[in-house]
Amino acid sequence: MSDHPAPRPRPGLRAALFGLVVAFALAACERPDPLQTQRLLVFGTVVDLSTWGVAPRDARAAFDAIDTRLRQWHADWHPWQDSPLARANAAFARGEAAALTPELVTLVQHAQAAAQASGGLFDPAIGRLVELWGFHQETRPAGPPPAPAAIAALVKQHPAMEDLSLDGTRISSRNPAVALDFGGIAKGYAVDRAIEELRGRGVHNALVNAGGNLRAIGTKDGQPWRIGVRNPRGEGVLAALELRGDESVSTSGDYERFFDWQGVRYHHVLDPRSGFPAIGSMAVTVIAASAEQADIASTALMVAGPGEWLGVARRLGVTQVLRIDERGQVHMTPAMAARLHFEVQPAPAVEVTTEP
Amino acid sequence: MSAAAGGPRARRALLRPADALVLALALALLGGLYARLWGDGGAGAEVRISVDGREFARLPLTEARTVEVPGPAGITVVEVRDGRARCAASPGPQHLCERAGWLARGGEVAIGLPNRVAIEILARERHFDGFTY
Repeated sequence: MSDHPAPRPRPGLRAALFGLVVAFALAACERPDPLQTQRLLVFGTVVDLSTWGVAPRDARAAFDAIDTRLRQWHADWHPWQDSPLARANAAFARGEAAALTPELVTLVQHAQAAAQASGGLFDPAIGRLVELWGFHQETRPAGPPPAPAAIAALVKQHPAMEDLSLDGTRISSRNPAVALDFGGIAKGYAVDRAIEELRGRGVHNALVNAGGNLRAIGTKDGQPWRIGVRNPRGEGVLAALELRGDESVSTSGDYERFFDWQGVRYHHVLDPRSGFPAIGSMAVTVIAASAEQADIASTALMVAGPGEWLGVARRLGVTQVLRIDERGQVHMTPAMAARLHFEVQPAPAVEVTTEP
Repeated sequence: MSAAAGGPRARRALLRPADALVLALALALLGGLYARLWGDGGAGAEVRISVDGREFARLPLTEARTVEVPGPAGITVVEVRDGRARCAASPGPQHLCERAGWLARGGEVAIGLPNRVAIEILARERHFDGFTY
């Protein structure tokens, strides 16, 4: 205690000061929540939008605008229901050209670049294979798996993004086996456009998450956005990641869409080389600069498998990867290991790789 | 510890009974507000169950119960017990709703997409802002 106590305010003044403190506290209660959130069940998935420090009315307007765009894209990009993309797929089979929306043209261009960069491990031209396996429907995929001969016949035709030619908004394919299914890029692309929409409205602290494919900008009250990585086996959360600034995360796994047949799991991430579900990994989580890059990379690395994934990560310019192999062993690149925190006890043994 | 000479007198001069009352009331009020508005989890936390974005129920985590939630694909069963909640059964083919496990911390969520049901923990502190899967 100080030897020289501060001059004592008059009791009335002190009461007024306390009153002021209480009034401030009450005023703070009436302030709207700086965290505004909206959950949309669109795009065939769950889309969660969060903003920090934005007035509720402005956040609502931004969420509505994003909702409208997502619904439009879902209608335009559906590979099998009547849509511009479905009509293009039908035209490829007939050897004809078709018209695309400007957004679909951009998506095709991005997918072509990604297919090339990933050495064909990510290639949305394998829509016929997805259909053959039954993973295109929103209903439950079910066994038995397709006849190996039918799979082999499609693989032999080698449908690839490089078969497609764009002329303005017209698209044609020199390979009738090509059918586009943007499952491995559409969510990432849409998340990036949603972030653009928010930024265009002056929002600089936000999180957009489309079915586990997410991008965070800014912070939440100066704190990082906290992301849980789901456990690929068992329940709950395996690990936590803190995102600050502008970063994206995406996970590809064998547990989202799959069926079990005679003791074997067949999942929806197909390897264009074999025509069968990718082997060697349960899940791959990637942190990247954009949601689209993270989406593409997580799919390509899931397909790449044990021997190749680090090399593919290097080619895709991705340095932060968590991979859980088919035995459940956790592998991480050094940059991912430095920031990922396990939420399970005891924490699993980790094999830290060399830098990609 | 022995009181310094003149201690009681100095204390009386610093804090009169009315001051003490105001101080006590203000602190009690602030404490109450803090617990109500900034307190996390525990008795204050709730589980919100919504169908297609509309709130179906909001339940305290302190009362054990089982709720059947009707949705477009069937019935989702939500179980609340021991300060936690979970999706105990859902009509979804991949059972991703159940796979979310027990939820207890703010922001934890289980979603059954076919039945359009979301089960979410509401607490002042959000432990997670999102999930990747």
